[in-house]
Amino acid sequence: MRNKTDGIERYSRQIRFAPIGISGQQRLGEASILVVGSGALGASLSQHMVRAGVGNIRLVDRDYVELSNLHRQTLFDEEDARSALPKSVAAVSKLRRMNGAVRMEALVADVNKRNVEALLMGVDLVLDGTDNTETRLLLSDACFTHGIPLIYGGVAGSGGMSAMFVPGDNCCLRCLLGEREPTEDQEAAPTCETLGVISPAVELVAALQAAEALKWLTGNRNALRRTWLTADVWEFSLKEWTLPPGRESCPFCGWSEMEDTTVVDRFDAQNGNLRLQAGLVPDYAPPSSEEGYPVVLCGRDTVQVTLNQAFALPEWKARLEACGCEITANNGYLLRASTPEGERIIVFQDGRALIQGAGEMDRAVEVCRLYLNDHERSHPIAPKTGF
Amino acid sequence: MRRKLDFKLYVITGESYHSSRDMLEVMEAALRGGADIVQLRDKKISKRELLEKARSLRDLTSRYGVPLIINDHPDVALAVNADGVHLGQDDLPLSVARSVLGPHRLIGISTHTIEQARVAERAGADYIGVGPVYPTGTKPGRQAVTTSYVSQAAAEIQIPFVAIGGITTDNAEEVLKAGARRLCAVSAIVGSNDPEGVCRNLLEQITGWKSGSSAEIPAEEREMVVTVNGRQERTKATTMLELAEHYKLADKHIVAELDGDIVPRQSWRETPLRIGASVEFVHFVGGG
Repeated sequence: MRNKTDGIERYSRQIRFAPIGISGQQRLGEASILVVGSGALGASLSQHMVRAGVGNIRLVDRDYVELSNLHRQTLFDEEDARSALPKSVAAVSKLRRMNGAVRMEALVADVNKRNVEALLMGVDLVLDGTDNTETRLLLSDACFTHGIPLIYGGVAGSGGMSAMFVPGDNCCLRCLLGEREPTEDQEAAPTCETLGVISPAVELVAALQAAEALKWLTGNRNALRRTWLTADVWEFSLKEWTLPPGRESCPFCGWSEMEDTTVVDRFDAQNGNLRLQAGLVPDYAPPSSEEGYPVVLCGRDTVQVTLNQAFALPEWKARLEACGCEITANNGYLLRASTPEGERIIVFQDGRALIQGAGEMDRAVEVCRLYLNDHERSHPIAPKTGF
Repeated sequence: MRRKLDFKLYVITGESYHSSRDMLEVMEAALRGGADIVQLRDKKISKRELLEKARSLRDLTSRYGVPLIINDHPDVALAVNADGVHLGQDDLPLSVARSVLGPHRLIGISTHTIEQARVAERAGADYIGVGPVYPTGTKPGRQAVTTSYVSQAAAEIQIPFVAIGGITTDNAEEVLKAGARRLCAVSAIVGSNDPEGVCRNLLEQITGWKSGSSAEIPAEEREMVVTVNGRQERTKATTMLELAEHYKLADKHIVAELDGDIVPRQSWRETPLRIGASVEFVHFVGGG
């Protein structure tokens, strides 16, 4: 156990806490977790986990640090924002100083159907620090497929929610919210974009999640709340409701014959069911985002697109400069450029780009066409309608 | 969370009606007959004597799993770990009793007019007494409020109300007809040679009436009061889905709770609403 090199002394006050003790601390040291999102919740969650001595932590985030993050994303500072570091990378560089014995992995990527299974590999627990419902549903599907507990947290304004989903014990998030993806007013759910957000709300929800994580990882299953909790720090309130058990017919939390399958298999099984139930035509769109469609990121005027081209960052730099853009950050993980019209374009190594400051979706699409399009192949990026 | 209060037949001690028999013996007979909430009332004895009686009644009611309410005395209620107190219009104000008892114990209030009932409901009473419906020796000199007040209370009051005062096996039907769903009797029960039999008779009338009466209202006109996100609402909805549709929430990412339990979206259609149900709909919070 790597943590032994630090000695047990650094965790002495945590070990003295009776429900954890020496054996709980050892379990923490042997545990592997995935923290999805390294923003407000993710930063706070990973800090709790790293300081507590969780042995292996994988962080994945699709975004980079900006000044407007700093009021609530406690791991980052002005220097990170100036360098426009990817959040997971900036987070890990801070976290290493807090606990050098923890093995950490920083991944700069958007979690999607293609990579979710790889991200979950070897993980005992998933902590949700994402900023959107779609990714959470995908995580729920994948976690229930592989029997890995997921601790959801969400914040907006001065409040938030948290719940721990334990495969075999509770129903999955998809059952709870319904199979249908919201269409017209997608993400009508309150977000940092619509309500703003204050830091104490983030810390409250992250603390609730982290406490459940510690219980799970130290073997204190009986102490789990097993509830859906909503809380608000401004007009103080705290409510807790019992989570229902799994639904027999659900391919994710039910108990039908679905062993040794992948998330995609279960998606297909579910779509089949859906089609039968609703009499839908066979080309019914699967209930997850098709990569390549623009996605809005939490808290800012930001749209994410997947690029059709696979250029290396130096190639993108040359192309953007040729179009009259000014390069404002180039740190090896990403490239940030300002268009002559004032929008910002951020191109990541993994073939994604963020468009910021476009205001309207139409303009974001236009920016893509003007600056990121492959002129030789001329494949415009199709926007998802009904955005 | 304050405990959920549900009862049908409320019995109150009245030792002057059975001087030859032991109070515990009489109350146990009532409990065997199905009384499902018990109040200790004795305005003539010393507090120390009251405390002793309260202790022994606490033991008895605990064995039957029935709430015990103490008339007038929050300190006695706390001392014996009773479930709550019952207060008259001239006793401690509800807010004072609440601050003494804390949020978890039950407080019942005697009311004689619909105005008093409204005040008690607003102030957070857990139930009210409605009466005296008929003239009674338990409250000599008090004018009967008649069954018309019972009907008013039935139409308007959302917290449990119990009709009280001169109710017997003979007139119970009339009180139920006026809209009462919970009855309280003192002399008719404890003054009888067969408290168990009287309780059984009253309980049969209450439950019989309950199942018979709801069938009389055509389904499309049936409205019920439920609490939605803390507000009382009248609704024709009979399921969670219908209620969500009424608020145009059915196709949003919503977390729904019914009486403390989350109801998965897929189960909304099959989840019935009942009168007095408490529902919360909250938008799924997406930020992070």
